[in-house]
Amino acid sequence: MAAASLTFDADHASLCAAGAWVIHTPVAPELPPLANAPVRILDGAAITALDTGGAWKLLDTLHQAGDISRLEYRNFSPQHLAILNLVARHYPATLAPLNPRADGLLAQIGRGTQALIRNLVGLVNFVGRLVFELLTLARRPGHFRWQELGAQVQAVFVNAIPISAAMIFLLGVVFAYLMGVEAQKYGANLFVVDGVAAAVCRELSPVIVAILVAGRSGAAMTAQLGTMKVTEEIDAITTLGLSPYSVLVVPRLIALIIALPLLVFVGDVAGLLGGMVVAGRQLDISYRMFFDRLDDILKLKTVLVGLGKAPVFALFIGMIACRMGLAAERDARSVGENTTSTVVQSIVAVILLNAVFAIIFVHLDI
Amino acid sequence: MANALNLKVAAAAPIIELDAVVTVLGGRQIHNGVSFSVRPGEVLALIGGSGVGKSVLLREIIGLLKPTDGRVRLFGESVWEITAGQMQALRKRFGVLFQDGALFSSLTAEQNIAAPLREHTSLPSLECLKLARLKLSLVGLPPDAAGKRPSELSGGMRKRVALARALALDPELLFLDEPTSGLDPISARAFDHLIRLLSDSLGLTVFLVTHDLDTLFSIIDRVIVLSDGKVLGDGTVETLKTIDDPWLRDYFAARADRGN
Repeated sequence: MAAASLTFDADHASLCAAGAWVIHTPVAPELPPLANAPVRILDGAAITALDTGGAWKLLDTLHQAGDISRLEYRNFSPQHLAILNLVARHYPATLAPLNPRADGLLAQIGRGTQALIRNLVGLVNFVGRLVFELLTLARRPGHFRWQELGAQVQAVFVNAIPISAAMIFLLGVVFAYLMGVEAQKYGANLFVVDGVAAAVCRELSPVIVAILVAGRSGAAMTAQLGTMKVTEEIDAITTLGLSPYSVLVVPRLIALIIALPLLVFVGDVAGLLGGMVVAGRQLDISYRMFFDRLDDILKLKTVLVGLGKAPVFALFIGMIACRMGLAAERDARSVGENTTSTVVQSIVAVILLNAVFAIIFVHLDI
Repeated sequence: MANALNLKVAAAAPIIELDAVVTVLGGRQIHNGVSFSVRPGEVLALIGGSGVGKSVLLREIIGLLKPTDGRVRLFGESVWEITAGQMQALRKRFGVLFQDGALFSSLTAEQNIAAPLREHTSLPSLECLKLARLKLSLVGLPPDAAGKRPSELSGGMRKRVALARALALDPELLFLDEPTSGLDPISARAFDHLIRLLSDSLGLTVFLVTHDLDTLFSIIDRVIVLSDGKVLGDGTVETLKTIDDPWLRDYFAARADRGN
């Protein structure tokens, strides 16, 4: 295809366009130098191809040079003339200023503050609505969705057992191994059992499992509820006279509150097993010795402290996940943003709550 | 004039050609040897009852779904036998308007239209946006729609933006999947005329899947009826009315019932 070109014909005071004026033209031709005589005519006899992109480019090039509205189109083929006229009619729309100016710092701070306030108001609304729904449900327990609860427990607990066990098992292995390296220097091999038991049951298992569940189930819940909002399923639930809170949110929250302590217990067992394997291989502590020592030093209290934190973590993860899901707007971007936000908020909440628990337990002397 | 157009059209090589397309999805036979061809400049509609595989056929033509058997040719090239690079080149020559618009929700209207321009041309981004404005104006949207996100636009406006995006690269061929579904009658008729106007002035070939009788009667050159996995009828609306088929009879009767 011949490249697009523009030439100036001084004899006829006309501009001649030639070649293929199409959108895929790599470089648009420059406007040739014009004589002082006013240009009145645009000659299109030599144009081989013209599409709207090319026509716009042609008009835009001419526009740079001056007024194009009075230019007479001559020798265009009917098809090209139709396109050129169509584009010429719509050309003014492309002259509107582009890119509205970026926001200043102050505007951004203002917008951020507004978003923060909206977020807090939304949170208060959510908690209030949730409490109200729970009270309603308590008065009429027959309306509880047992099936949904079962499905959620399956998704949050049963399907998460392998990954939770594997992760805490490996943490137990690493923890026992690193502690063993130090303990061996002092001949304090047996105390590795104390360390592993306390660390796994009290801190590692609850916190890591909670973070895992936040990333796994929390994200899934937000994405699911958000997508249901996009496809208007939430609206459908409402118009059927049901409450999305009692149908969707409450079963998820309860499933999490049931599942997380159970997963933490699975994690406890796996972590201790991991420690036991390392103790047997590296520190010459037989499984029998390990169990005896565990029996002596691992108090029920330590395990209960770990298990007791789990429902609180679960409550926060569930509330954050469901709220962010229901707060999603009706587009894919918002669902993605809210899912990210759920994971971040949940993990921060778990770590903050864990710190609060640590302080409380110290003060209570547990 | 219609005759002259048809003569010109008949001379050119087909732009879409289906040869004995067979589709089996999930054990169910959907198409059982569908063959037809579309010539450049035609505005052609594919109709048929729910579930006869109109949208599936469309997906097979535009290269999203591989037919079980048979051949699909676009611009003379067999869609499922060419290399990925050749298919990529073909994709620049046609535009698709999906049923719900399928606009990118994270981009504004003008960015949606500019997206294919940015990917497939060497134009600077300012010109991409200006061209996007031109396409917005071509499909009859006001300039203030340019900066809005799809979620802020009405259904009819979303369809127009999607049409503008399908037209962004100045394709020779336009596929429309139920272009007027979900629009009120006034917007739907306006959309029909817009499609006809664009196809006439830009010389576009338009292939549309539709249920809308008014679209058929107002802007379509030729109709292909899909039934029972085969092409039941192929011709103008008037010739289709003479075909003795229960579904077609009911279909056209739906319009008569309305008193038109």
